Amino acid sequence: MTQQTSCGCSTAAAKKKVLVYACSGAANVAEIADHVARQLTAQGAGSMFCLAGLGAGTPNMIQTAKDADLNLVIDGCPQDCAKLISQKAGLTNVKIIRVTDHGIEKAKGVKITDEQVQKIVALAKQALAAA
Amino acid sequence: MKKLQILGTGCAKCQKLAEHAKAAADALGIEYQMEKVTDLQQIMAFGVMFTPALAVDGVVKVSGKVPDVETIKAMLK
Repeated sequence: MTQQTSCGCSTAAAKKKVLVYACSGAANVAEIADHVARQLTAQGAGSMFCLAGLGAGTPNMIQTAKDADLNLVIDGCPQDCAKLISQKAGLTNVKIIRVTDHGIEKAKGVKITDEQVQKIVALAKQALAAA
Repeated sequence: MKKLQILGTGCAKCQKLAEHAKAAADALGIEYQMEKVTDLQQIMAFGVMFTPALAVDGVVKVSGKVPDVETIKAMLK
């Protein structure tokens, strides 16, 4: 038997352990994903974690991800790189959001807006609440 | 000799994890040294986001949970 509660001395809140990953691409949708992940972390909805660490196959980071209650993956576009990295790492406790599925077009050299970020933050919170 | 590291700032669950790890290692009769890592920067350097965590020879075996002795024995084998 395993006690599933997180530690009282944890750096994260003593509630559901949620890790958040953002697309690390070069286009606007990646920038939005990054801002969303950081805002969710700042608001206590989860803890942003390192997608590159998973991609590199870093054993300690993969173990941490597997021990999370939920891994929220924010992909920028239909390439779904973040989702594929999570699959490659063997994660099964995953929820995925794709920025381009929500009326935001992928482009380079385009400034993102706070409205776009807030739209995805709200969707991410809904996804977390439903998970 | 195995190196067991308990990652956490020292709350009751961290202490419980240390107890379970010690009991598991003793039951297996393995040689080990145990270290408590309480510095948050060092804990983060392990790639751990949730404490308590157990690392064996530098490899994180579990984080954010306190497995029972039998589960830890399997991790140490």
